[in-house]
Amino acid sequence: MTNQNHLTNDEVELWAQGLLGASRALHLSDCAACHATAERERKLIIELAQLPQFAPSSDFVGQVMHQVRVPTPSGSQLA
Amino acid sequence: MRRYERPVFSLIYRMVRDRALAEDLAQETFIKVLNGIQSYKPEFKFSSWIFKIANNAAIDHLRRRQLDTLSLDGSPSAMTPEAMSASAPQLGTGAESPLQEVESRELGGQIDRAIARLRPEYRSCILLRHVEGYSYEEIADILSLPLGTVKTYIHRARNELRVHLDAARE
Repeated sequence: MTNQNHLTNDEVELWAQGLLGASRALHLSDCAACHATAERERKLIIELAQLPQFAPSSDFVGQVMHQVRVPTPSGSQLA
Repeated sequence: MRRYERPVFSLIYRMVRDRALAEDLAQETFIKVLNGIQSYKPEFKFSSWIFKIANNAAIDHLRRRQLDTLSLDGSPSAMTPEAMSASAPQLGTGAESPLQEVESRELGGQIDRAIARLRPEYRSCILLRHVEGYSYEEIADILSLPLGTVKTYIHRARNELRVHLDAARE
């Protein structure tokens, strides 16, 4: 296997997401280096995707709306 | 707004790592969005537009903070050890406030600590790509960066993250 056949960064990411074509993915069964890289990449991508989202405080929307200009029929805008 | 408040707040929070500040910047983001809705261009994805404003708010803050950073040795104009000591910032006692405890709990995991060590541009890219799930093209739009730069940043960010995580887990 020559270096030219190693997976590119984009291909490694596609494989980690299950989106790489079967013909290119076959390379992983022949190349221990690419396989190790791809596995590490897959684990990292899964960890990142599982990070939790955080909620702002419960009065967040109210505080925002308090500062938004609301158009009125006369054209003036109230805070 | 309810649909975007968590993802926008989470992005900013992970960028600045300060809950109260993240809340201020997220508010600033939504106020800009709602007050500037007439300037929204429909050819741009609406969520991308919001994230662009949110990311700009976080990056602007981080740049300002970098400018404001005072050396731990005190003012650069201090000429004597006494003057240096007098102008040096006072460090905390090490005890955490309740809010800091929440922040430690929320952002104290290995992966979040590794993300915090990335430079801000890499942090934005990695969060938008792998936490928010944006495509490379969308990230290039959001960050106003060439597509090739976005790819390079994300690749380097993942490499750096792996290095930090490997070191933390050894």
